Amino acid sequence: MALSTTVSQRKQIKRKAPRGFLKRVFKRQKPQLRLEKSGDLLVHLSCLLFVHRLAEESRTNACENKCGVINKEHVLAAAKVILKKSRG
Amino acid sequence: MADHDPDSDSTPRTLLRRVLDTADPRTPRRPRSARAGAQRRALLETASSRRSSSQTKMTTRRHSHGARSISRSAYVQASGHLKEQTPRTLLKNILLTAPESSILMPKSVVKPVPAPQVVQPSRRESSLGSLELQLPELEPPTTLAPGLLAPGRRKQRLRLSMFQQGVDQGLPLSQEPQRNADASSLTSSLNLTFATPLQPQSVQRPGLARRPPARRAVDVGAFLQDLRDTSLAPPNIVLEDTQPFSQPTVGCSPRVYRSPPCMPHTGAEDTELAAGCKKRSSGPGMQTNSPEKLAQFLAGEAEEVDAFALDFLSTSSGVSGEDGVEPLQDGVEEAEKRMEEEGVSVSEMEATGAQGPSRAEEPEGHTEVTEAEESQGTAEAKGPGASSGDEDASDRAARPELVSSTPESLQARRHHQFLEPDPPPGAAVLSSEPAEPLLVRRPPRPGTTGPRPQQDPHKAGLSHYVKFFSFYAKMPMERKALEMVEKCLDKYFQHLCDDLEVFAAHAGRKTVKPEDVELLMRRQGLVTDQVSLHVLVERYLPLEYRQLLIPCASSGNSVFPAQ
Repeated sequence: MALSTTVSQRKQIKRKAPRGFLKRVFKRQKPQLRLEKSGDLLVHLSCLLFVHRLAEESRTNACENKCGVINKEHVLAAAKVILKKSRG
Repeated sequence: MADHDPDSDSTPRTLLRRVLDTADPRTPRRPRSARAGAQRRALLETASSRRSSSQTKMTTRRHSHGARSISRSAYVQASGHLKEQTPRTLLKNILLTAPESSILMPKSVVKPVPAPQVVQPSRRESSLGSLELQLPELEPPTTLAPGLLAPGRRKQRLRLSMFQQGVDQGLPLSQEPQRNADASSLTSSLNLTFATPLQPQSVQRPGLARRPPARRAVDVGAFLQDLRDTSLAPPNIVLEDTQPFSQPTVGCSPRVYRSPPCMPHTGAEDTELAAGCKKRSSGPGMQTNSPEKLAQFLAGEAEEVDAFALDFLSTSSGVSGEDGVEPLQDGVEEAEKRMEEEGVSVSEMEATGAQGPSRAEEPEGHTEVTEAEESQGTAEAKGPGASSGDEDASDRAARPELVSSTPESLQARRHHQFLEPDPPPGAAVLSSEPAEPLLVRRPPRPGTTGPRPQQDPHKAGLSHYVKFFSFYAKMPMERKALEMVEKCLDKYFQHLCDDLEVFAAHAGRKTVKPEDVELLMRRQGLVTDQVSLHVLVERYLPLEYRQLLIPCASSGNSVFPAQ
């Protein structure tokens, strides 16, 4: 559906939500439940926000260690924090 | 220290004066100049204090006159040291000598004018080097002045108009007998050369002159050469990235990240071997084929087939344990039934050597390559017969290395395939071929759901979010970090599904509704009283999704989406 082309960034990010993928994952996890049609869009939104927070946190970690590259450890530490936060 | 009219406090004169006030004198001959400098500074300070107060011009004239008379003495002292050509001294001389404004000045003022003029002619000349003063009695110290006076020169030019006016008025008045000749020569020369300050400066400093932009003529030859070079490049790209096979490579790449250690190795080896096969096959193929373009076409097809075979390889690499290996073997068997008698040679080679299960994937890939190419060559399937029987027997055994066998088999096959009209049917067969092995392979895999649907789209979907991650991070990342992100996403999905289930169960439903997801986001702290869900939707989702999620009223009292 919607493809966003950003002029400033090198890569072009497709903002399409992988609706089939999300539905399949949900079905695989909870086959007894059903997901409404707009529900997966909101799930996609929450995943985006999760990834966003994760990226911010790992970028902060990397900058604190004065690394120019995001390492596995940065991501790991960030994930611990963010997963705890988004436990709900 | 002349002057300053309080009327024009912001004249260049005043600016210069301030400059002189603040800066320290740095002349080599300290003792002498220090005295003079101190005196000058004292006089300057007094003058500046007077300057700050607003007074009539006449009063300032008188004050300045008084100051001038005092300064004159100081300058007379300093006049003996004409060799100290500091910018400070020169500028001070200018300030002293140049009359401030066009207002008629009393004669008393006129007198000091020529006196300091004569006293400091050399300095003024050097300071106003552009004016080209030529004084007989004093050497023109031109070398030192221009470099030192660069910053002051701009201000000097600004004051020239005032200077000129003053000189014009001073000229008729300065008919003093005493230093008449000098003064007149000075003023006359001053008058003469006012108009050309800019030119000499540019002559002295060629770098400062404005040059027209140097435009190089377009080198047509180089341009055409570049065109030719770029036109050469695309064919390579076309070969490597053909449309139908882009997806398998995309599917391959996330799998590269995968954890099983042997897989990447086999994947790398397979690519190398496939490339090696390709090259080796194309090599002998080129030599032996009488129609060379046939060989090239086959080589090209071999590349495509190899690319596709890689996909099979990667899919087969996704196989856990030998469960997948055996079904693949079976599938390959059936495909091999279509092989020609050259398959006999293949089976012979297969009979040689025994490999472990890890190696089994390699030969599977290569058998896929071989069988694909063979089937491509043989539109008319010849009786497999004994060849297939032999292969069945050898299939169950560990697969032999087909690395060396494939080029030879390919070469052998090419001998037989010369006569067939390959190119058009080959293409058609090739396009159909990739589909058929797939279809052939699916039925023999009843038990396992197949790791392929598990991993492929799962990885593809996760890679979608991984791309978002790298996009948001705006920093380069390691591959392992991306793998970690995938794991985190998996965990997050699990948590998400659990929570949604709990929420739906709490509401007594079996369907997860958007309200449940909103509640989840609220608990996560994404949706607050300040930030509503709609705000987040508008911020992060594209327009089409926004229309679906946020109810909007349209004409006819209808709301979409219907509530």
